[in-house]
Amino acid sequence: MPTVEPHEQFIEVAGAQIHLLKGGQGKPLVIFHSVEGNLGWRSYHRQLAQDFTVYAPTLPGFGLSQRPPWLETFADLTRFSLWLVQELGLQKVSLLGHFIGGWLAAEVAVVCPQMIERLILVDAAGIQPQQGEIADIFLHGQEGTKRLVYFDPQQMPEYQELFGRKPTPEEREIQVQNQENAIRYCWKPYMYDRSLPWLLPRVHLPTLIVWGREDQIVPLECGELYRQAIPESRLAVIDRCGHCPPLEKPEEFTRLVREFLQGAS
Amino acid sequence: MFLMRFTERAYVAYSEEDVKNSFRSAVRLTFSNSHFNPDLGADLYHEYLDEYEYSDEIGFDGLMLNEHHNTPTCMGAAMNLEAAILARTTKQAKIILLGNPLPIFDNPVRLAEELAEIDMISRGRLVSGFVRGTGIESWATNTNPAHNRERFAEAHDLIIKTWTTPGPFRWEGKHYQFRVVNPFERPLQKPHPPVWIPGVGSPETIVWCAHHHYPYIYLETDPQVTLDLMAIYAKAAREVGYEPGPQNFGYLVRIHVQDTDEKAYKVGEGFLVGNAGVGRVPLPGDFMTPPGYNSREATKKLLEQYRHALRPDPLYGGVDAAGWEKVVESNRVIVGSPDTVIKKVRQVLSALRPGILGVWTNDGTISHKDTMRCLQLMEKEVLPALKEMGKEFNLPGPFEQAP
Repeated sequence: MPTVEPHEQFIEVAGAQIHLLKGGQGKPLVIFHSVEGNLGWRSYHRQLAQDFTVYAPTLPGFGLSQRPPWLETFADLTRFSLWLVQELGLQKVSLLGHFIGGWLAAEVAVVCPQMIERLILVDAAGIQPQQGEIADIFLHGQEGTKRLVYFDPQQMPEYQELFGRKPTPEEREIQVQNQENAIRYCWKPYMYDRSLPWLLPRVHLPTLIVWGREDQIVPLECGELYRQAIPESRLAVIDRCGHCPPLEKPEEFTRLVREFLQGAS
Repeated sequence: MFLMRFTERAYVAYSEEDVKNSFRSAVRLTFSNSHFNPDLGADLYHEYLDEYEYSDEIGFDGLMLNEHHNTPTCMGAAMNLEAAILARTTKQAKIILLGNPLPIFDNPVRLAEELAEIDMISRGRLVSGFVRGTGIESWATNTNPAHNRERFAEAHDLIIKTWTTPGPFRWEGKHYQFRVVNPFERPLQKPHPPVWIPGVGSPETIVWCAHHHYPYIYLETDPQVTLDLMAIYAKAAREVGYEPGPQNFGYLVRIHVQDTDEKAYKVGEGFLVGNAGVGRVPLPGDFMTPPGYNSREATKKLLEQYRHALRPDPLYGGVDAAGWEKVVESNRVIVGSPDTVIKKVRQVLSALRPGILGVWTNDGTISHKDTMRCLQLMEKEVLPALKEMGKEFNLPGPFEQAP
């Protein structure tokens, strides 16, 4: 059984030190985190690392990763992320992203599809819904957003570990920094790129779209819009699950991802 | 000493329940404008303008206005409009805008034009203050809070250049780009209308202000804390080679006068629902300061530098959260008969030595009738005494001595 614990390191990208967790073995899988930043090596990382080499970078400006001063917009973040993958020394990767990480993965796929083997978008931002709205997590504040994110926190195996205690001052500082960073990149237009749906049809990549049926942040409608825009995609909806399938339903989530990625071998 | 009169122009025809039922129980930003009655609003605008015009007649040196958005606590959502009216209808007093929230303007050149018009219509009576705005202003105008300070600084530089450099010129900044900056109407005052900066003590702003020789107006900060903040200004001023005096400092304080102490104490309590709104329901912290609004690294650095010199506000939560008795006891709101008020203001002036005194005469539920009586009493007894006090304590204002 390969090791599933990560190695922590920093790599330099565009002059910035970028924090990276890397673990497992097999084909490379790069995971872009959501607005709350890199929550560490979670159970879904461990499970996926049994079959893949998982790279979990902390995006610039979040957590321990530096943000180059010129990096201000989501478009900047997209181009930076291409460089980041290049610095990982990888020719071709599978890419998985959740919420803004999913949006980022979709943007990267649009700009450089030849770099990607398979694409996994999880409750991803990036497309403006036609009916509903993407909930304004900034306006709801941290506590209000927390109430919207999970369908049933009791079913989350890692809930206590992640949220069962008051954050230390250092952790609180990083939370504020992450919120500030998310605001910097995603303030306006809020959580979507108007041109993205028009560009996604060029992404001829096997694509898995995963959505929690009860997502109250990004409506399921957006999952359907992604499915319609990406030619070789399919949408898998997880029942009794909110916005965060990797944490709320890690077993079901990793099973879906593993099966999809192993279809590539 | 320069005496200016202020009110936030509150709207109070709603209930605490209304506030509690709004999104995140906030009196600002998300408090529904369905609670606003334009008929009443029309009356209030006229009353507030009448009060300012009367303040001009009775000898205030300045009429101070401010601007906030999405809130019943301040009806000055388009402060420059009120300023333009007063520019035409008043005769003597300076029109003190404290201030235009620069980061929320996508077109600072247009703002430079508006202010130039006000300066000309008032025949050179404009004082153009600039602010970053509270976080609410960023939310309400969808201005990225992470760019607040950068936009403030760049918009300021662009406006000053627009006023002082013959056009046309081109501006290619980080947040603003203009092909042809050349507004035809330029301000009457040379090199440009005076700039004053109000605030509640962000060290970063105070240092910036001192470096620009701009007077800083402390907005009803605790007197001891104000002294600490003045020391930050003074240190920064010395760094660039000058010694600041009273002309570099202003202090805004709520002062309400009635015929008797008892009546003033009773009426003055209406101040408490001014800034805080009816019911004084605490605002969500991230509405006032969203993440990114304060540049954390710069703030941390400055706070570390001045931590030894900065005391916390002894009124926990400030005036808006404290009880009326405590607020009055600590001179954070001064109420009383003319004699009482004169004595209390004397204590404040001798301790803080500002060259500018902002007299916040009324707010919240204080009625127009009570406000007019307050102003009448100020004319007869308080203003002459304060002017004498300014001379006695040698407190030159910025028009007597250049900051």
